[in-house]
Amino acid sequence: MNGEAAIEVVGLARSFGETPALTSVDLVLESGGVFGLLGPNGAGKTTTVRVLTGVLRPDSAQTVRVLGYDVPGDIEHIRPSVGVQTDTALYERLTALDNLTFFGALYGMPKADALRRAGELLTRFGLADRAAEKVGTYSKGMRQKVLIARALIANPDLVFLDEPTAGLDPEAAHELMTYVRDLSRERGKTFFITSHRLEEMESVCTKVGVLADGRVVAQGSPTQVAREIVPEIRVRVAPAPGAQLDLEALGALAGVVRVRQDDGSAIIEVLARDAIPTLVRQIAAMPADLLAVAEEPPTLEEAYLRLMSTNEKHAEEVDAA
Amino acid sequence: MKANVIRAIAAKDLRESAGSSQVLAPVIIVPLVFVVLYPVGLLVGLRYMSSADVRAFFEKIPVDLVPAISGLSTQGKAAYVATAFLFSAFFLIIPTMMATILAANSFAGEKERHTLEGMLYTPVSDTELVVGKILSAVVPSVAFSWVCFVIYTIIVNVLANPFVGRQFFPTPNWWVLMLLVVPTVSVFVTACVVWVSARVATYQSANSIAGFVVLPIVLLVLGQVNGLMLLGPALFAVVGVVLGALDVLLMRWIVKTFDRERVVSSFL
Ligand SMILES: Nc1ncnc2c1ncn2[C@@H]1O[C@H](COP(=O)(O)OP(=O)(O)O)[C@@H](O)[C@H]1O
Ligand SMILES: [Mg+2]
Repeated sequence: MNGEAAIEVVGLARSFGETPALTSVDLVLESGGVFGLLGPNGAGKTTTVRVLTGVLRPDSAQTVRVLGYDVPGDIEHIRPSVGVQTDTALYERLTALDNLTFFGALYGMPKADALRRAGELLTRFGLADRAAEKVGTYSKGMRQKVLIARALIANPDLVFLDEPTAGLDPEAAHELMTYVRDLSRERGKTFFITSHRLEEMESVCTKVGVLADGRVVAQGSPTQVAREIVPEIRVRVAPAPGAQLDLEALGALAGVVRVRQDDGSAIIEVLARDAIPTLVRQIAAMPADLLAVAEEPPTLEEAYLRLMSTNEKHAEEVDAA
Repeated sequence: MKANVIRAIAAKDLRESAGSSQVLAPVIIVPLVFVVLYPVGLLVGLRYMSSADVRAFFEKIPVDLVPAISGLSTQGKAAYVATAFLFSAFFLIIPTMMATILAANSFAGEKERHTLEGMLYTPVSDTELVVGKILSAVVPSVAFSWVCFVIYTIIVNVLANPFVGRQFFPTPNWWVLMLLVVPTVSVFVTACVVWVSARVATYQSANSIAGFVVLPIVLLVLGQVNGLMLLGPALFAVVGVVLGALDVLLMRWIVKTFDRERVVSSFL
């Protein structure tokens, strides 16, 4: 399996009645990383997961391969190595432990193995002391953890987590994502995570894809994708407390396209990276005391928001025409 | 098809419904009324009825076809016919009712509560899923029918033997009924409900469709069970075997037409 793509999708389309959910999805995912599929509600993230896990049929596709097997044709070879968490529910009247060992049994695990593994996972998620309580008494966050533990019960090579941080407080979400990153690093597992919450994804994902208009409109490492969508080169100039920046003077410098203020600092957009060294020298020579002058790389969140707003504008234009 | 996966599915359902009194209460109380109150009422009542009233009671039943009772008193004939034939229909209504409720709860109910989808991502095969779900309704239904049968046997032996003058129950017909016909009818009913459940969105609609469409048809057939028993245990057993063959065909067809996509998308 190593070296081979964990997931390979070319030209995947799927609609529901008249509504197209996916028009043409292309995706390549090497094994061993954490992939984040980003997109707003209704973008088709869950539909993508369901097609890749063989519970929804594609309308058409050139290639849908998961772990080296064709989907949906060879799905029975794939399922034993895949764990899935979608917005499904747990058995409320059963304990967390029973919920997990039941899924262990569905994966054909011997009872003792399932029990041991369930115990490990519940401990890892901080639920060991509540393991024997019915899930009906759990909070939303605890249920979410059990659902994810359930996806991991059979030690799968590939794990799909569909909006795993939905309903979790930021701390719990961070903890969960850290756990996912550790698992993928230590055990070489591949994660396929969907989310519309960007902050968590940027630090954990080795690769992201942005789903819009039924297509993956950008994919690559978070920095690549951010750079691709936000190509401007920017420099942040942070003044010392009490110091006043002369924005007009900054705007007049050679190679500067525009200047805007952000949280007390000035963000200078420049034509090219080559212009930066000269610019830094000139800014340093200005009268205002400075704390820092540094290049401001685009964040994934910024890129995502920009992509979404261009898509909206595009959609409005299409509607208007 | 892995036996331990099927067992896990059935055991999980059992544990779940055992914890739910709303599901189990009607399923247990109503049958107990059938198998205790009716026979006790009739057998105690017989003591106070005149022979004419009793004769009117089994007028329509071809008593001559039952050689075992030709020498009995009117009361004795009534006690025998009622306990060995008339009440037998209860023992098909009990598993039918119970299997309907349990199967609708376990399949349509799981769909409605969004727990079924999780199973569809696991290596469980369609056959394992369908057979496991069917067993999870059939096993308790048959087991409970047998418990009722034990209670009923005691009641009949205590209250009917004095009229008949000897120990006669269970008759061979009843062994065929309990060991062959009750299980095969349970499987048949459950399979029908699972088929319906895979195609509707909620437990309520599965239960209603089962209640208004499946149950009447089954009950209509059940009404004939007395007549079938009059044919004697051997022919009655043939009916059970035919039903068993039907069960196998029905289950195969359900597995063949089972579609995971239909389960995850409520739009169909
Ligand atoms: N079972 C379904 N029936 C009808 N439409 C559906 C169904 N599942 C998804 N859709 C539609 O497909 C689109 C994508 O949905 P989904 O994949 O759930 O998006 P996401 O997970 O990104 O929020 C939405 O417009 C949604 O309404
Ligand atoms: Mg979704």
